[in-house]
Amino acid sequence: MVENQKNIPFAFRHFTPEALRRALRKMHLIRLFEEGAEESYMRGLIHGTMHLSIGQEASAVASCMELTDADKITSTHRGHGHCIAKGADVGRMFAEFFGKETGYCHGRGGSMHIADVKTGNLGANGIVGGGLPIAVGAALTARRLGRDDVTVCFFGDGANNEGAFHEALNMAAIWKLPVIFVCENNRYGMSTPATYATAVKNIADRAVAYAMPGITVDGNDFSAVAEAMHTAVARARAGEGPSLIESLTYRWRGHSKSDRNRYRSKDEIEDWMSRDPIMRFRTDLIAHGVLDAAGAEAIEAEAKAAVAAGIDFARESPSPAITDVTKFVHAEAAA
Amino acid sequence: MPVEVIMPKVDMDMAAGKLAVWHVAEGEVVKKGAALFDIETDKAAMEVEAPATGRLHHILAVPGVTVPVGAPIAFIYAEGEAVGPAPATAAGQPAEAALAAAAPPGAEVAVAASAAVATPETEVEGLRATPAARRLAREAALALEVLSGTGPKGRIQRSDVEAEIARRRQPPLPAGSGPAPGTVEARPLSRVEPVAPVDWEPQPGGLHVTTRKGTGTPLLLVHGFAADSFGWRPLEEALPRDLPLIRIDLPSHGRSPLRQIGGFADLARALVQAFDRLGDGPVHLLGHSLGGALALALADIRPRRIRSLSLIAPAGLGPEIDGAALNGIARASCTESLTPWLKRLTARPAGISDDFARAAMLGRIDPGLRAAQQDMARALFPDGVQAFDLTAAVERVAMPALMVWGRDDHILPWRQALAAPGEVALHLLKGVGHVPHLEDPETVAGLIARHLAA
Amino acid sequence: MNAQTLFPEVQQREMSFAEAIRDAMAIALERDPTVILMGEDIGVYGGAFQVTGDLIERFGADRVIDTPISELGGAGVAVGAALTGLKPIFEFQFSDFAALAMEQIVNQAAKLRYMLGGEAAVPVVFRMPSGSGTGAAAQHSQSFEAWFGHVPGLKVVQPSTPADAKGLLLAALEDPDPVIIFEHKLLYKMKGPVPLGHYTTPIGKAAVVREGSAVTIVASAIMVHRALEAAAELAKEGIEAEVIDLRSVRPIDRATIIASVRKTGKLVCVYEGVRTLGVGAEISALIAESEAFDYLDAPIQRLGGAEAPIPYNPDLERAAVPQTPDILSVVRRLVRGEV
Repeated sequence: MVENQKNIPFAFRHFTPEALRRALRKMHLIRLFEEGAEESYMRGLIHGTMHLSIGQEASAVASCMELTDADKITSTHRGHGHCIAKGADVGRMFAEFFGKETGYCHGRGGSMHIADVKTGNLGANGIVGGGLPIAVGAALTARRLGRDDVTVCFFGDGANNEGAFHEALNMAAIWKLPVIFVCENNRYGMSTPATYATAVKNIADRAVAYAMPGITVDGNDFSAVAEAMHTAVARARAGEGPSLIESLTYRWRGHSKSDRNRYRSKDEIEDWMSRDPIMRFRTDLIAHGVLDAAGAEAIEAEAKAAVAAGIDFARESPSPAITDVTKFVHAEAAA
Repeated sequence: MPVEVIMPKVDMDMAAGKLAVWHVAEGEVVKKGAALFDIETDKAAMEVEAPATGRLHHILAVPGVTVPVGAPIAFIYAEGEAVGPAPATAAGQPAEAALAAAAPPGAEVAVAASAAVATPETEVEGLRATPAARRLAREAALALEVLSGTGPKGRIQRSDVEAEIARRRQPPLPAGSGPAPGTVEARPLSRVEPVAPVDWEPQPGGLHVTTRKGTGTPLLLVHGFAADSFGWRPLEEALPRDLPLIRIDLPSHGRSPLRQIGGFADLARALVQAFDRLGDGPVHLLGHSLGGALALALADIRPRRIRSLSLIAPAGLGPEIDGAALNGIARASCTESLTPWLKRLTARPAGISDDFARAAMLGRIDPGLRAAQQDMARALFPDGVQAFDLTAAVERVAMPALMVWGRDDHILPWRQALAAPGEVALHLLKGVGHVPHLEDPETVAGLIARHLAA
Repeated sequence: MNAQTLFPEVQQREMSFAEAIRDAMAIALERDPTVILMGEDIGVYGGAFQVTGDLIERFGADRVIDTPISELGGAGVAVGAALTGLKPIFEFQFSDFAALAMEQIVNQAAKLRYMLGGEAAVPVVFRMPSGSGTGAAAQHSQSFEAWFGHVPGLKVVQPSTPADAKGLLLAALEDPDPVIIFEHKLLYKMKGPVPLGHYTTPIGKAAVVREGSAVTIVASAIMVHRALEAAAELAKEGIEAEVIDLRSVRPIDRATIIASVRKTGKLVCVYEGVRTLGVGAEISALIAESEAFDYLDAPIQRLGGAEAPIPYNPDLERAAVPQTPDILSVVRRLVRGEV
């Protein structure tokens, strides 16, 4: 029995089949949401640019597996996956993309600022490294208020060269704050390879400088990410301080809609696409008897329907009143 | 070593000054203390005296040029000193030296030229007025063009409009009840004033003085009864353009304060006081009618400062006067009642146009002013008789004098000119009435210009 | 029945500007467990200007938190804490160092509520010792109020008295949005009466600190004192100047300034920040755009900091920002109609 257990990956030992099926559904939702957004963009329904995380779904979903609504995340410009992983509704997300009043930010934020404070998502951030100190602050709040909430701070490989990264990790470490820094290393900061821009081999190596555990995992391996997160979250909840997890992954699409992919080869992209994290997870789920092929199809179909309904909801939603351009700058004056 | 002539600092935060005019030409002799050049600052024109006696050379700044304070603008060479190339100058002229070269404090009483008559003598600029002045003028239906500004560069300020309103004693028209604001032409000038006699209060302050800049000795203008300085305008335009002018509004006339006048002596005293405040430089003097009488008095009291005297139909040389016309003009409260009396002023009634009459009424719109002038007329011309006599003064005239009279003067008969001694040049103009400077300004200006040049 | 009703005469006490701020922070820490202090050397050192003083002894290191020398990170931690339920008061050692934290103040704190469609609030207070006069030269003497005043989402105040320093800080803590308080370093030792206990000075409200009819002087921070000094001197010459303590740069109190200029017809703005594109430009523009325009009887005058970094040499340093004689001179010229 024990020997058997050892051969079973962490996720399939640790999570209930229901939780694993929900994880698959979220991964499909992320993929389909972004594909739907991409298509809407091409149809001219969305006027801003967007940063797609297609190919990184396992990392986002696995990182949020053990989080409750009381736990916080800070996200990045490539944050749709984190948002859905933390429990956001794709209809309100689409509405935000479409700039509608029913969107998460009432049309004021768009793709780059989607947040859902009620589910603990403190928001995507348009500034590389912008969320790092904020995550430390959120962890400080939890400490000060005596709660055992943790904060997961998502950022990319580009952010690890921002001063904010170093200041934030240092402060989280000296104060032993319950924060998990998750670096989704998708190999490029826009066009600049992380291997060029970063002095250390692994970004996780930087944890040493801040006296915290640092681990590099295959970000397309759902279970590997989930296992590393499990350890880090437990450490944080126990008051032992922060951790740094480097999640190696890859974005299939360009940096944004204006990317012409001049800095990477077709072969490289296709190689990564052949290692699709969703198909990998789905295969593993079937292999471990969590679901069968028909069940998997049903989950994908359900996600497809949710995305279609979300787009309809967004299209039919009202736009904000033009006269409300300064609404939400400050708190409404108390009546 | 020649003496450096610099642009002096005459104002606390003056960094540069604009050279207005040189009073001495290149190579001419100048005496230390004599007027050398004028500068214009934000506040006023200021005369600068020569720092040394000698010949002026190397004029480096021409009129209109702005020169930094302390910069040399010319050099004065002692008589006989060899004139070489313009010397290099020591930087950093001490401020004391610069200040020493500044004009005497007396020069400050010269008031900025009024905006209304500024056009001929200054570069064309839009009318300057503060928003507050514009608003007040708008509310009072006053045209800003008739005001003179006391602010920098003649800017009309709130106080200027308030003073004008106070002078006119005219309550602002209720909004919406009158004509469009700011359109003087549309004002109901012929509105009938209340019949009850108007009380008026004497006002403080000195006589109103305006100037026109130019070159050389200025001509001081003294207007007649019930007129004001604006009446000189046709003559001014006919006179040489660079002739500097000083205009004085008599008490209870134009923009001068209302004053109680017991008799001619009071009026003469007020004029002398105003004259003394102008500084101590010489002037040519010109007066018309009552202003002629006053000019005679002034020439008698301050003969040393009067280079020449010009009199147009002066009063005071005989008892006869058309008292009815004077009282009628002083009393008239609307254009319709004013016009018939005005028509007595010229040789032929057609000489007074409707426009002229309307403009004249506008200048007399203040009932307080009219009441004060009626009182003045009673004091000066009781029972239609000139109650003052200047025949003795005309006998004593010490400076070159000129008299111009219209042969068809209905107000003062030209034969009163015969009271003048033989030294006074007498010009009797045919087909001209009591106001030759309005009826034939070119002829009058020509006579005066020749007289001043002599 | 509290002490004040028992002893109504003991309602205020003479305090220095720094003491008044400390008093406000102590009251806030006492009243509200979510209030924390953050900043460099605010603990046992007591703050670079001894403003936090002994608060660490009274409230402990959990609530009076020394940060590493990490302005960007520190400010960001304060923003994150505010976003999630705390009310941090973050002290910059010098306002100049806020330039290191522009990202968190301008891109994050100021915008989060808006970007998130009103679904979040960042009730953080940034305290910034500012201004020249200490011989600290170019990087420790600046006045950045116009910079931050340019950012929607921020509120920016500049107290000039101990009482307002306390009242505005307590108001800032009650405000659900980020507030930046510029504290002029030369005012820290200034004493004045300060009401005891909790009270607030409204943000966005200027104070007419001297009434007059001849000219309106709108001044901020230490310039208020220079303006009042000038006004007293001018009164001897028969010139009654009205002095307005701006107190709040954003939102700016349009109504008070407009009402005053309508009355006087003349406006002088006195502020320490660089003259060009500064607070005075905003005040001038709001008058030019308002109904007070028709009451202006002279050009508006601005007295601001020199177009130069703050120099070290004491004479140069004084010359770089408006002093009382500068105010006297400009008002005299304005009232005499010389400008």
